Amino acid sequence: MSTPTLLQAARALLARDLRLLWRRRGDALQPALFALLVIVLFALALGGEPQLLAKVAAGVLWVAALLSGLLALDTLFRGDAEDGSLEQWMLAPVPLAWLVLVRTLIHWATTALPLLLATPLLAELLQLPRTQLPVLLAALALGTPLLSLLGAIVAALTVGMRRSGILVALLALPLYVPVLVFGAGSVAQASQGLDPTGGLLLLGAGLVLTLVLAPLTAAAAIRIALN
Amino acid sequence: MNPVVRWFHQLGSPPTFDRFAARWAPWAYGSALLVMAYGIWAALFQVPADYQQGDSFRILYIHVPSAWMSMAIYAAIALIWRIKLCEILAMACAPIGAAFTLITLATGSIWGRPMWGTWWDWDPRLTTELILLFLYLGVIGLYGAIDDRRAAARAAGLLAIVGVVLLPVIRYSVVWWNSLHQGQTIRLLGESSIDASMLPPLFAMIIGTKLWFIGSLLARARADNLLREFGKDWVKALAETRR
Amino acid sequence: MSYLNYVIAAYMVFVVVLLWDFVATRVQIAQLLRSARLRAQRAKPAQAGAADGRHIL
Repeated sequence: MSTPTLLQAARALLARDLRLLWRRRGDALQPALFALLVIVLFALALGGEPQLLAKVAAGVLWVAALLSGLLALDTLFRGDAEDGSLEQWMLAPVPLAWLVLVRTLIHWATTALPLLLATPLLAELLQLPRTQLPVLLAALALGTPLLSLLGAIVAALTVGMRRSGILVALLALPLYVPVLVFGAGSVAQASQGLDPTGGLLLLGAGLVLTLVLAPLTAAAAIRIALN
Repeated sequence: MNPVVRWFHQLGSPPTFDRFAARWAPWAYGSALLVMAYGIWAALFQVPADYQQGDSFRILYIHVPSAWMSMAIYAAIALIWRIKLCEILAMACAPIGAAFTLITLATGSIWGRPMWGTWWDWDPRLTTELILLFLYLGVIGLYGAIDDRRAAARAAGLLAIVGVVLLPVIRYSVVWWNSLHQGQTIRLLGESSIDASMLPPLFAMIIGTKLWFIGSLLARARADNLLREFGKDWVKALAETRR
Repeated sequence: MSYLNYVIAAYMVFVVVLLWDFVATRVQIAQLLRSARLRAQRAKPAQAGAADGRHIL
């Protein structure tokens, strides 16, 4: 039997993950639901006054997306670490980094993409000015995969740890800062009338770099953790 | 074999390293204290009153990122060549770096109080220092959370390397963020030119803190070494002969 | 405005943190050596007893 190509392996992993996800369909909406809760809490805490909310809307939406991504990180490798599939990954004829990349992108598609689709609705809740919405969507579209990839490194470093909890958040936060800054900052730029493409391009460049470097780093981390 | 290489290999042996560290740490600490004492005295009494504000601590903004750099270098060597001693040295750098970051934050905040009227400002330097503190705590936390000491050191070492790559990015993003939201950057420590009389104390503090770093590194590495080798005979023998 | 208090506070922070750094490490080493010594002492009678062939109950 010949070794599978990268594409074949990716397709197989995709099919498996989607099938597993379909069996627990409800889980897919949890990140979006969590973001909604965060937004409701912010609105309640800040007083619900439209002008104030409009000023903080972009920032709050970003924080909500970031926090829900952080929460979803737990499911990235946990299932496979527990049933031994992760060790099979290490033995696979396909590069471990490739499997990590595919898994992370699938994870993004199933946890962050629903959130992205819900953003216009969530933005309405926070009275986000309509003009900022396209920039916010673009920033989130570039930023959430970045968060997923950086999060994959953290998840790989802590794989197999049962009570990792706050450690994951502590490790992820400094890595997330640039993404948050450029992501929310682009929207702020747009709201000030400046051109937001600078920030967005930086996010894009970061995404391209991270698409290559993060899976390699996460693969190294998995090997360290499981050896 | 080259004597330097041989010495390096010998240092990798845990009992040899213990003796080396126990011998040299006090010298590093002692010379650090002397140099820093001179630096502080000179900074307080030899220098025009205007410059008492924080110039001698400016170097901490240089020192702290360089401390991360040395941790990352040890970690890289440890990961590539799997040298146990370098794992220990890398992990020992973390608490010291965290301590200096804490000093930087506290002194930066104290020095800013008369200027801003509050104890904190989201100045790019202070904000980056705070994030750096979280990075250090993350490395320390990760090292402590994994049971197998070698795997723990390698995982935390990988994090240190990721950190060294991301630190410039983080710094750049915070500076960008600050200029975006605050228009004119009101820096904590203005771009004042350093008076010539300030240079001796400044250099003294740079050298002094480096020496302290070495002393503390040796001491902490010694402790970690003892912990890792705990059941071994040489530790028992050492415990009985010395305090 | 007198900066003296702030200067003193800053140097105090510096001294306290470095002091903690020094003391904490020394204490850690001392505790490790102490527990190694105690462990060695606990092991010795057991070894002596086994060598004599007597049982320690």
